[in-house]
Amino acid sequence: MTFFKSKLLIAAGALMGLAINPGADLSKSGQARAEFPTKPIKVYVGFKPGGRTDTVARLVAKYVQENNLLSQPMIIVNKPGAAAANAARDVLGAKPDGHSILHWHHQLLITNAMGVNKIHPQDFTSLGFLGGGSPVWTVRADSGLNSLADLVNKLKAEPESLLEAIGIGTIPHLMGVQLAAAAGFKTRYIGSGGGADRLAKLLGKNADIALFSASEYLRFKPQGVKALVFFGPNRIASLPDVPTTTELGYDAVWANPNWWLGPKNMDKEAAAKLSSVLKQAISSKEMIDYFNSKALDPYWTDGEPAMEQSLKVLDKLKVIVKEQNLGK
Amino acid sequence: MEHLLNSFSLLLQPLPLALLFIGVASGIIIGAIPGLTATMLITLTLPLTFFMESVNAITMLVGMYVGGISGGLIAATLLRMPGTPASIMTTFDGYPLSQQGHSARALGLGITASFIGGLISWAFLAVLSPPLANLALTFGPWEYFTLVLMALVMLASLSQGSMIKALMAAALGMMVHLPGVDPSLGQMRLTFNLDNLEGGLSLLPVLIGAFAVSQIFKDIIVIDREPPPVHLDRKGMVLSLADIKKYAGNFFRSSCIGTWVGLLPGIGANIAAMLSYTTAKNVSKEPEKFGTGHEHGIVAAETANNAAVGGALIPLITMGIPGSVVDAILIGALIMHNLEPGPLLFTTNPEIAYGVITAYLIGNIIMFGIMMFSVVHIARMLYIPRAYLLATILLFCIIGVFAVANRFFDVWIMLLFGVIGFIMERTKMPLGPFVIGFVLSPIAEMQLRSGLMATDGSLLPLFTRPFAATFFAISVLSLLWPLFIEWKNKNRAGRH
Repeated sequence: MTFFKSKLLIAAGALMGLAINPGADLSKSGQARAEFPTKPIKVYVGFKPGGRTDTVARLVAKYVQENNLLSQPMIIVNKPGAAAANAARDVLGAKPDGHSILHWHHQLLITNAMGVNKIHPQDFTSLGFLGGGSPVWTVRADSGLNSLADLVNKLKAEPESLLEAIGIGTIPHLMGVQLAAAAGFKTRYIGSGGGADRLAKLLGKNADIALFSASEYLRFKPQGVKALVFFGPNRIASLPDVPTTTELGYDAVWANPNWWLGPKNMDKEAAAKLSSVLKQAISSKEMIDYFNSKALDPYWTDGEPAMEQSLKVLDKLKVIVKEQNLGK
Repeated sequence: MEHLLNSFSLLLQPLPLALLFIGVASGIIIGAIPGLTATMLITLTLPLTFFMESVNAITMLVGMYVGGISGGLIAATLLRMPGTPASIMTTFDGYPLSQQGHSARALGLGITASFIGGLISWAFLAVLSPPLANLALTFGPWEYFTLVLMALVMLASLSQGSMIKALMAAALGMMVHLPGVDPSLGQMRLTFNLDNLEGGLSLLPVLIGAFAVSQIFKDIIVIDREPPPVHLDRKGMVLSLADIKKYAGNFFRSSCIGTWVGLLPGIGANIAAMLSYTTAKNVSKEPEKFGTGHEHGIVAAETANNAAVGGALIPLITMGIPGSVVDAILIGALIMHNLEPGPLLFTTNPEIAYGVITAYLIGNIIMFGIMMFSVVHIARMLYIPRAYLLATILLFCIIGVFAVANRFFDVWIMLLFGVIGFIMERTKMPLGPFVIGFVLSPIAEMQLRSGLMATDGSLLPLFTRPFAATFFAISVLSLLWPLFIEWKNKNRAGRH
């Protein structure tokens, strides 16, 4: 047997030993109950690397690591597909010891309201909202429509005269429905994909109205796009001239939070520890700067109020879905 | 112009250049080995590019595309085994010329022709793309739907063998896309209550299965077959100026044919080479020499198949419609990198659109350098034992597919489509239409239903919008043309 082979066998043997007796944590064998976290924390993200949910999770993980807020690192696990349900199911099935958590947002409410799957917010333990972002409603800059009032007047005078780029059952659709109901107008729909597709439809004059996230809008603005209204609860620094729906007197607010979730009945200590760490992260200058640069809103909401707010939004969404006859 | 220059300075940095070099070199090697294709290499590399900057990733993949199509000529010339399907026509004259003791000359002709074809089609790519993208911006759902329809039908009617089988393969590909979220209603369909099917069948498991795994199954059967040894030196490989002059007309004609065929949605390098070869033979004063080691034959085939690569990139970056099967996979790559391929690519992500154009030019130059200097060494790669090669590739398939979504379900899907791909090949159902159908049917469905949503269910725009009507008419004609030819032939046979 060569030297290399024998080394390999020893290593394999050690691994086998661990596999047979996974509790054998040599450093803490004397303690009755090790302090959370005892191993790296897996943060599941239901999207490909690179989007907002993924980037924020990675920034948090980096901040936590660099400032030694936890004794173990956070590892981002990307599990894209099925509108993030794949990742959600993994966390729902995990041990509720705090070592498997989920970073998601209010798409969870939409899929539930639409009846796409059965995953419900109350299947989870809510750890809290780590900031969030809101979208804007836009038209072409040369459309002659200079304010939401212009748009509402035009649509009231000529109902269904403007085409709205949406995907059925997506945020653009449900926000449009809410605003239309509040202001009493009607548009026609043209089915569309993601942000870039809505932009192509808008600029190519195949659509007249499109919704973009605030950060998308900042990027697209130079192409000749104009925002008429912001769906957030209050104006944000990067869009000082865009009025909010609330200011204009319409009940249509959408503040999509970065929601941190764990499996149901999660260990209380672990949940409290994670919440406090996340709160610390979003209070840091780095994170606040990043949020501002992306036209996102940096704030923290504790687990329970976050769940309450979400359930209220869910009820509202269910009403819309029923009225529009969208669900199953 | 400014963007183009920017793009050059971006790509001429050490890292992108190194990646481009790796891409071209690996493309040439994989393209050279019969049984391994550029398509397979690019699908397998996709998961690896996941963690790279988008520009670097796309640059490397374009390099592989250029290298893969070019590398195929080595085995085609030396062994009469096309390294990739695109070099089938090269075997007709390359191999005889090589057998007459002029291997170096045959390879030199092929390599230079590939290079010139690449350069000329690059000029078309760089000049035509920006205005075409502007035109495409005015395209609405009906134009896109008919474009995709045209791609599917043309691919089916122009691919070799039975058109019915090709259409069946396309339909099968379209069916594979169906499970998952209905894009118009936002509801699940055909998921049979399986959680794993809610995201639909993802691109990579299906593609890697159909292309790489099925190819491995196919190669295992003939694993003992070893190519005969060949002797090769480099003397006579470099073409003289007189040679270039002599073939100037052929270079230009074949480049135009190649670019044009590449530009047409769906069909790519292999059909370009065939068409160009046939044309060269038809216009030649000595057509009887074709197939006996005639230099014009090598030039026509190799110029066109490389020019097709550049041509096929045009619809890819201007409309998000693939010009060939490899481009369908490149679209997948763009989507994986959160880029939406379409007419706005030039405005929202100019670095990508111009990056593709620049990478294509630099890739061709690198390809020429590598091939001219090391073709002798690359030829030795043909003798790597298959057993090691196939085992390694299968391992890469599994790792790659698993890594994308951290899900073992995808590995089973990959193996399933490996078997399906293998059965399709055995029953002579072409894989090209299958892949194009799978990649394009989401676009077709989305656009058609989106158009219907806007017109309240009326199909009238298919006939009233000029571009849509033209594309629709071409689709119908491509479908009917082969039937008409068959009918005519039968009639003629009947009269005799």
